Amino acid sequence: MPKITYVAHDGARTDVDVTEGENAMHGALFNGVDGIVGECGGALACATCHCYVDESWIAKVGGPSSQEEQDMLGIAAAEVKPNSRLGCQIVISDELDGLVVHTPDRQY
Amino acid sequence: MATVLGTPNSVPDHVPPELVRSIGFMLNPEFLADPYDFFPRLQEEQPPVFYDTDPVMGSGWVTIKHELAFKALRNSENMTIETTSIFPRDPDNYFNLIPQELDPPVHRKFRNVLDPFLSPKAVLQLEKDIRGLANDLIDKFIDKGHCEFTNDFARPLPVTVFLRFMGLPLEMTDTFVKWVVSLISFAERDKAVEIMAEIEEYMSRVIIEKRANPDEGAISRIVHGTIDGEPLNERDIYGFVFFLFIAGIDTVYAALNNTWVWLARNPDRRREMIADPDNIDNQAEELLRIFGVTFSGRTLTSDYELDGITMKKGDRLMALLPACNYDPEVFPNPREVRFDRPRKPILTFTGGVHACMGAHLARLEYKIALQEWLRRIPEFDLAPGTQITYPPSGVIGPAAVPLVW
Repeated sequence: MPKITYVAHDGARTDVDVTEGENAMHGALFNGVDGIVGECGGALACATCHCYVDESWIAKVGGPSSQEEQDMLGIAAAEVKPNSRLGCQIVISDELDGLVVHTPDRQY
Repeated sequence: MATVLGTPNSVPDHVPPELVRSIGFMLNPEFLADPYDFFPRLQEEQPPVFYDTDPVMGSGWVTIKHELAFKALRNSENMTIETTSIFPRDPDNYFNLIPQELDPPVHRKFRNVLDPFLSPKAVLQLEKDIRGLANDLIDKFIDKGHCEFTNDFARPLPVTVFLRFMGLPLEMTDTFVKWVVSLISFAERDKAVEIMAEIEEYMSRVIIEKRANPDEGAISRIVHGTIDGEPLNERDIYGFVFFLFIAGIDTVYAALNNTWVWLARNPDRRREMIADPDNIDNQAEELLRIFGVTFSGRTLTSDYELDGITMKKGDRLMALLPACNYDPEVFPNPREVRFDRPRKPILTFTGGVHACMGAHLARLEYKIALQEWLRRIPEFDLAPGTQITYPPSGVIGPAAVPLVW
């Protein structure tokens, strides 16, 4: 199972195994990782699973996958950076084994 | 789903008199004549937060502002979810509506039992079933040239989807329809205790059966689910199953009914939708914004300030979600149905940790209903002489929608 590392705003790291096909938002919620809210459950209807893809993974993960994701990032509570993504739109595959994402200081 | 039936009480001293209103939400003839004119009008006529005295809902703070509603709904520190009294429960054998009536952090653990099966991807497994079902329903009346939409389509569709999702036999459709109609109806309050007992009697047998024979349905997932490695207790299992029953059935029903009235009255917009099938997701989301059907209540567990207004511990606070969806600061020209709006969060499925767990299933049902109906019955109208009326209910939708084509 691919492993994802979530790095909290204060630098705390949590490694979790995430089923292939799941997304980075669920990876956090189902494993008790704080810092991701995922209020709408992945419908591109909020921006509470905002995260920053680690610089070393940007090329592989890519930018926002749709106009809707881009629109939603516009209302994220924390600063939006070039490596900002919505966790629910990052689908985990074997290719992303070892992915590192940073969670912002707030989602509201 | 709707939350409360309260009792009116006098206005507490800490409420500034200039903020007291009586919008008469549930029984006001203006509201009942056309709720979806009433909600945007609130935006035009009322302050962002006011104190409403209401004979049906009880008195409490109300916000109609998108930003303030999200702020309050996302706050678990100063408030707790309001316990509903619509569904009478035996105090000696009580159950919580799960996960709705739980607070963080335990709330998330219960959500995790079913959320994986309600994700956007997971619900797609039901797509073929739902599409087939929508067509089966249409087959029954398409050649007649007319139907009563609420009974012939909007009621059986979500009930049957619910039965499939839960792992219950489809032969139970009529019984479940009867139960839900009786439970939700204001006119049948005296029967609620009896119906609650019938539902529990049936569900208890199902729970025993699922314990012995696990399957892929939600009831079995709950029965065999764990919280911190421990199985759920009996009352929690029942509270979870019962909650799912009331949560998804009447809401989708009402949203469909509201939408079909609009579709019937707006042939040009309907044709615009049909001409642009690839835009169905935005069409559905915009119509779900326009036709929010319920609201979210909280009770303050400590003093709280919202928009500069001091509220006291014990006060009730309601986010009037269908009105919040017409906030012009977020949705300019809010009355206008526009299928090219930039994506913004709608409050139809509420917000915060208690945001609707079935939202993806609801969106899927709604979308498929639109697609299949418009494909097969693109031209239709309200039956001549139809007056659309809205009964007082915690879930807002017309009483009957007779259609002809």
